Amino acid sequence: MSLFGVLNITGTGMAAEAQRLSTVASNIANANSTTSTAGQPYRAREVVFRAVPLEDGDNAPASGGMAGVQVAGVVESAAPFHKTYDPTSSFADASGYVQSPNVNPVDEMMNMISAQQDYQANLEAFNVAKSLALRTLSL
Amino acid sequence: MAGAIDTGLGDTGLGFYREVLSLRAYRQELLAADIANASTPNFKAVDLDFKQALGATVAAETPSTPQVANRRLWLVSDPRHFAALDAGVTGGGKGADASASVKYQADTQATLDGNTVDLDKEKVTAAANAVDYAATLTFATQTIHMLSTAIGGGSTSSASGT
Repeated sequence: MSLFGVLNITGTGMAAEAQRLSTVASNIANANSTTSTAGQPYRAREVVFRAVPLEDGDNAPASGGMAGVQVAGVVESAAPFHKTYDPTSSFADASGYVQSPNVNPVDEMMNMISAQQDYQANLEAFNVAKSLALRTLSL
Repeated sequence: MAGAIDTGLGDTGLGFYREVLSLRAYRQELLAADIANASTPNFKAVDLDFKQALGATVAAETPSTPQVANRRLWLVSDPRHFAALDAGVTGGGKGADASASVKYQADTQATLDGNTVDLDKEKVTAAANAVDYAATLTFATQTIHMLSTAIGGGSTSSASGT
């Protein structure tokens, strides 16, 4: 039944948006991490979404445009690190600069708001489908 | 209009409601897919052309695979009655028919990453579609009540309430 397809699709949407949100949280938390286990400053990360056809193929023709979403991967930002002049720091390089993460707080906040809105939209679609299915049961 | 699709339920119109509900649910699924992919790069928003899809369903007269076992036992005056019946009986085939009426939304602005989902528009369309689904449910429920009134008289119609 198609209404259960809605539940599946919005489920994938909420999972993907939640992962996007946790990536944002990771970036904000590490906005000042001048070093990491790799020895380098933290690099901002971003999720990449990909549309995937529904798996339960009973009523989901691949050409019908019916697709859930999944996180295809997490990419690290290639933007240059921020540099601050602080020769007294133990992490300063030869010329006295300390490299700090390339996290842009404005980007992160915008990403967070976008993820929140998308998650909310998925949740609304989920609730609508659920109440319709319940009403159908009482036909 | 209600008698255009005869699915073996007599001419009660319930078969018609079944098709409508099926198409509405299908459209709801498409809109949910749009919403889920609101941030997917290069995803193109789709929608169901409901009028065309329902028209195709109603107009479907050719039987795909006739099921002899489900044929009516009484005589009919026109061979197309069989055809309509067979099409209705085998016609869980909504997926094949309706997917032909799925179209890309052309009137939305594409974002920089090639995504054409307008989240606000999708939400409004999904809400309207949900109302249409609920309205069809209401009509179907009333038809069922009417039938049970006709079968058992006024006393049983209240007992079969939802």
